[in-house]
Amino acid sequence: MKTMKLEIVTPHGLVYDADVAQVTLPGKEGEFGVLPEHAALVSLLDAGVIMIDAGNKKEINVAINGGYVKVDEKKVSCIVDGAVALTDDDGALSARLEEAKELLKKAETSSTAIATAVGKVESIAKAR
Amino acid sequence: MANLKEIQRKIRSVKNTQKTTNAMKLVSSAKLKRTEELAKQSKVYAAKITEMIDEIAANIAKQGEVDNIFFKHVANPKVVDLVFVTADKGLCGGFNSQTIKHVNALLQEFKGTDTKVRLRAIGKKGISYYRFNDIDMVQEISDLSAAPTYARAAEFINEVIEDYLRGDTDKIIVVHNGYVNMITQEIRQDQLVPVDPTELVQGGVATSELEVEPDDDDTLLEALVRRYLEYSMYYALVDSLAAEHSARMQAMDSATTNAKEMADKLTIQYNKARQEAITTELIEIISGMESMK
Repeated sequence: MKTMKLEIVTPHGLVYDADVAQVTLPGKEGEFGVLPEHAALVSLLDAGVIMIDAGNKKEINVAINGGYVKVDEKKVSCIVDGAVALTDDDGALSARLEEAKELLKKAETSSTAIATAVGKVESIAKAR
Repeated sequence: MANLKEIQRKIRSVKNTQKTTNAMKLVSSAKLKRTEELAKQSKVYAAKITEMIDEIAANIAKQGEVDNIFFKHVANPKVVDLVFVTADKGLCGGFNSQTIKHVNALLQEFKGTDTKVRLRAIGKKGISYYRFNDIDMVQEISDLSAAPTYARAAEFINEVIEDYLRGDTDKIIVVHNGYVNMITQEIRQDQLVPVDPTELVQGGVATSELEVEPDDDDTLLEALVRRYLEYSMYYALVDSLAAEHSARMQAMDSATTNAKEMADKLTIQYNKARQEAITTELIEIISGMESMK
């Protein structure tokens, strides 16, 4: 399986840095998926949830409050203002979900985008 | 014995100095810990956004025509803006003079050419140096380097960018003394705009044409570049502050050691003088007794 490198960086440090099979990003003009060997692209990101398919049927979600993304054939770099990884490594998922909702509600963007993103976070919470 | 008193006074004064320098060292090391943490956090972001901008620049350069002002290279820049960061306070060893020396070397380098260099100073020490030497600065900010915030760094660099966009300057260079570790600082010089893709390692560059979304690409690229510039400035300030604290810690540490050595030396001198006085007194008493016989 082909993979590409994904990096998510905030001013407070690196949130995610690994090889992934696919990633879905909340673009300003709508959500878009990126597979390895995607054409080079720079885009604005809205507040929302980055859905990462890390391979091996492992899925990771990261809530962000907007930023930029640069895509090329081998690498996807997201530069965002704030991000919360919704992982359940240490059983602190519910706290992270709350944190993610807080982050999204404070984002400077349209209320529909926020509502969609919060809805997504809530559905992730239910799925667990 | 006047001499004894003199030495005693000196010892007391040196010991007081030692206490002061030691306290300053402790303060600096506490501050350093905080700033170091801040610098470490922002370093990742600064490095990534720089990498991203460099890649975009390389990509744009490859596509041939460059119409974005931030990426356009001028072969013979007429005006170069030199932003440099020094501390507001002294007592930190060669920290400030190293930066100033580097700035002077750059000034010297440009002197023979047609290029005009404008100085933009951050930090009291640099400002007072160039004022004393009668060298003009276009911008002076004196309380930013001790407490850098993102908002104020952005405000400062935006003024510089406005000048760049108006065409008043063709190049912006930032010089600061950066933090390497507890005992080392290093001069860092970055060219902010035009973005210079030549520094980039060519291996990772994409082969396909760069697409920008949303389509009105100039606004997105401009926003991204502004973000990059603001953050680079902020990072330079934080990095410089961390370096300042580590330099001061070091300077104060050696000052404390020196004071201690001096106090030890003076104590030996004092003891010798005391011994001498006692011996003289004894001789006087004994010779007095001899003459009584």
